[in-house]
Amino acid sequence: MKLNVDGLLVYFPYDYIYPEQYTYMLELKRALDAKGHCVLEMPSGTGKTVSLLSLIVAYLRTNPSDLTKLIYCSRTVPEIEKVLEELKGLVEYYEKETGEPANILGLVLSSRKNMCIHPQVSKEHTGKLVDHKCHELTASFVRERHNYDPTVPVCSFFEDFDAQGRDIPMAAGAYSLDDLKEAGRENGWCPYFMARHAIYHANIIVYSYHYLLDPKIAEMVSKELSKKSVVVFDEAHNIDNVCIDSLSVHITRRTLDKSQNNLDAIKRNIERLKETDAQRLQEEYQRLVEGLRDASQAREMDAQMANPVLPDAVLEEAVPGNIRQAEHFIAFMRRFVEYLKTRLRVQHVVAESPPAFLKDVYGKVCIERKPLRFCAERLHSLLRTLELTEIQEMAPLTLVANFATLVSTYTKGFSLIIEPFDDKTPTIPNPVLHFSCMDASIAIKPVFDRFQSVVITSGTLSPLEMYPKILDFRPVTMASFTMTLARNCICPMIVTKGNDQVTISSKFETREDIAVIRNYGNLLVELCKIVPDGMVCFFTSYMYMENIVASWYEQGIIDSIQKNKLLFIETQDGAETSVALQNYYKACENGRGAVLLSVARGKVSEGIDFDHHYGRAVVMFGIPYVYTQSRILKARLEYLRDQFQIRENDFLTFDAMKHAAQCVGRAIRSKTDYGIMIFADKRFSRADKRGKLPKWIQEHLKDSVLNLSTDEAIQLSKRFLRHMAQPFRREDQLGLSLLTLEQLESAEMRKKVEQTAHQA
Amino acid sequence: MEMLDDQACPRCKSTKFRNPALKLLVNVCGHTLCENCVEVLFVRGSGACPSCNTPLRRNQFRVQEFEDAYVEKEVDIRKRILKEFNRQEDEFTSLQEYNDYLEEVETIIFNLTNEIDMEATKKKVELYRKKNKESIMKNRSKQSSDQAYLEALIQEEKEKEEEKRQQLQFLERQTKSQKKRDKEALIDELIYSDMPAARVIASHTANVETQEAPVFKLPKKMTLATGIKVGLGYQDTFLPVPKQEVVVYQYEEEHYETYGPTAPTTEEIDTQRYNRHVRPASPQGEAGGYGHNLACLRALQEAFSGLLFFPLIHGKKEEASVMETS
Repeated sequence: MKLNVDGLLVYFPYDYIYPEQYTYMLELKRALDAKGHCVLEMPSGTGKTVSLLSLIVAYLRTNPSDLTKLIYCSRTVPEIEKVLEELKGLVEYYEKETGEPANILGLVLSSRKNMCIHPQVSKEHTGKLVDHKCHELTASFVRERHNYDPTVPVCSFFEDFDAQGRDIPMAAGAYSLDDLKEAGRENGWCPYFMARHAIYHANIIVYSYHYLLDPKIAEMVSKELSKKSVVVFDEAHNIDNVCIDSLSVHITRRTLDKSQNNLDAIKRNIERLKETDAQRLQEEYQRLVEGLRDASQAREMDAQMANPVLPDAVLEEAVPGNIRQAEHFIAFMRRFVEYLKTRLRVQHVVAESPPAFLKDVYGKVCIERKPLRFCAERLHSLLRTLELTEIQEMAPLTLVANFATLVSTYTKGFSLIIEPFDDKTPTIPNPVLHFSCMDASIAIKPVFDRFQSVVITSGTLSPLEMYPKILDFRPVTMASFTMTLARNCICPMIVTKGNDQVTISSKFETREDIAVIRNYGNLLVELCKIVPDGMVCFFTSYMYMENIVASWYEQGIIDSIQKNKLLFIETQDGAETSVALQNYYKACENGRGAVLLSVARGKVSEGIDFDHHYGRAVVMFGIPYVYTQSRILKARLEYLRDQFQIRENDFLTFDAMKHAAQCVGRAIRSKTDYGIMIFADKRFSRADKRGKLPKWIQEHLKDSVLNLSTDEAIQLSKRFLRHMAQPFRREDQLGLSLLTLEQLESAEMRKKVEQTAHQA
Repeated sequence: MEMLDDQACPRCKSTKFRNPALKLLVNVCGHTLCENCVEVLFVRGSGACPSCNTPLRRNQFRVQEFEDAYVEKEVDIRKRILKEFNRQEDEFTSLQEYNDYLEEVETIIFNLTNEIDMEATKKKVELYRKKNKESIMKNRSKQSSDQAYLEALIQEEKEKEEEKRQQLQFLERQTKSQKKRDKEALIDELIYSDMPAARVIASHTANVETQEAPVFKLPKKMTLATGIKVGLGYQDTFLPVPKQEVVVYQYEEEHYETYGPTAPTTEEIDTQRYNRHVRPASPQGEAGGYGHNLACLRALQEAFSGLLFFPLIHGKKEEASVMETS
């Protein structure tokens, strides 16, 4: 259908549209017009992706001078593939409607592991190994060697692409990973480098967050993208953690020992090179003396060793004299590694700021701030000169060098925490140096500065004000949309007490309380009796889940559950969990019914959907607060309070409710779906907790369901399930939650839409 | 892998694992010895290192700080050398010179640690020390700009912490006194009010809940109108005056093409008496710097210039004719 969104002609590839999709597009267009950033929340399963794509593509086509590119960032490969699927549909629709080729180039960029078509390299199982093997075949010096010694193996796909493919632009269309591989096989070109090259003239790029947020990768992949781009972060509720992780470094004793070995290996290499080809070292030295930044032609292939973000001013400057010579630099790193070793020899926890650390470094081993800043760059240059192929093995040393650069570059927003042992095992010394980023805005700042519009969107972003605060930007629009439903297919309930009127809560004091555990068990047993097919339960942590399951076993609750359903448990082991998931699906599929016990913040809670019969009920046992005794978290909370005036409690609740919403949201993935959401903790009924849930859940949280006991909840669920089990057809939805073009354009609907737009 | 537990005294072979109280000491040569061995070997206060036979003094032994003896030795040498090679970046006219200097220092340290060219390097250091005695002394008290910056940041941190501590204390005191006051007010009311006790208590609790938390006001910091911050840490943050490389002006005599015979020089005007027909300068004129020779010279130069100017020479006739016709 062709829509008119605030004066813009939008091709929408379906015959029906949800009203919230239309309002979503309105808001999005407003942000694009203003060339500003926006935060949009819309429940999952309401077609965010297709609304985003159709509006932005229409915008790209009508205003090519204002907007040239869409950069779509998502988290996982399946999600990325889903985006491409939608995009393909859209392109087809354009072609069908206009009768001419759409002239849109959209493509995926992913890791080498997902894109490689080299017969041997692509067989490797881990991403690191593939990168490493690829590097062995495509590094500039390997290719150079191949020139005068044809027995040195190179990758023919890359060579062919480099020889012919660079000048030929890719044909328009939407390319998923498989399409790229197919195109690569046809031409004999490397799909990975083809995509890397093509992103500069593509209209739509779909890739993972890290290509934009992780400074190490962003610098080489996304450096030259034009300013007139719109960046979309989908499923962005965890974006602050991604930002923080991308700038944090953790160094253990093992890292240091390994980097020591790395240094020895490099030293041997330098000596060898001095005997065989001293010229090369001399050349490097000369280059460093002249202060030329080695923006060398070979960057693209050697890039896996790129350095963290540095202010440009530093990069323009010459490398300091005391680390110019290779031996001096090695001695320098040795000193630094030794120094870190002495720091790890602590008996109690040490927290320090970067300036204090730098001062101490200077006092102990006479290392100044300036050469430290150049560490990563200098190491990179040295490894290139030495032409080492086993770069993967140098990872520990690179980590240390990156740490050196980071700690000397950023004096604010970071903190250094040295823990002598793990909190869980206080008797085993296992010192770790955490250099953790406190400020999510540091990593994402370049993105906000560089691109004209940044869209942050997800199903669970509430409370919306928090994101602009912690990411430190000014959005032009912020909106939260609810799901318009033809029937009340969400049934959220807050269960605060058991049948015996004992308050249930996962708070610390009652954690071991046998009555609470028994009441949690009874709730689950009762639910198992009435809920068909699949049920998912979330606990606050693995430890808590283990404790509870152990006492359920003793109390015979496990047996009662198994009378009605099969029981599966998520563990910390990924492979084990996927087997459990597979069998869970199988049990739901064949009607046996199953219960999955899993953990909030775990793998299941983040990426796995339990739509329709896979999840008819979700139970949240307790509030999933993060482990608050962690020093890193404490430091971050303190920083947030000092810098952004966010109170500790606010942030913790925000984080906990975000995860709770994420967990229960797993069950509703579309409008025809239905599910029960049970929040089993007294504390959920408080206004400050409840108010932080997304609007689309809050809407259904009436006062009557805020303080239920187990049997009341069971009564309500029974009624709800009986009601929902009635057949549900498209005609029931039409006009209410699903609109045709005529209905959308009718005056009445117009008014309604405008109203909701204003509310948002 | 070299773990802390594996560290052993090279002489008695006792390790940290067997003797947790083991204390390793190190001397100028960079070789380690445990405390007991030092006691035994250096009873007289001096002796030779058992590993390399370097004569050592007992009072120069110190606790080994780093696991790597090489680093230990290097840091020791480095600290000694840097005491003398302590020039700062702003003393150099260009970054490149500074970098060259840094490299030179690094080479000296490297050579001393690895015992390459010991004699020559030592001589070099000695020479430098003699040459730069004054500036070494002067620089000792100075801080590099980077260090000053770090100091300022650390200072700032401390101030913030202090502020926070004060704030907490203040809040605690406030809430305590507030509670006390509330309690007294409640008792007073209970004594004198006519309302039933339950209602008094209820209204009182409602009152307490609506009360706002006390607001902490920071002690005002002293600031100057110029915006210069007062206090420690900011003293050294003035930017050093950038030293620019200036090209010194050099006079070059101008040469003019006069197209005429060379005019007489200033001396010739006097000796050949060209100036005899020129009016001598009045006292007022001389006071202003005017001399009659000058006027004469100028008149002569003017007269001579252009005398030999023949534009039509050397095959430029066509051009000239074109000019004439046009």
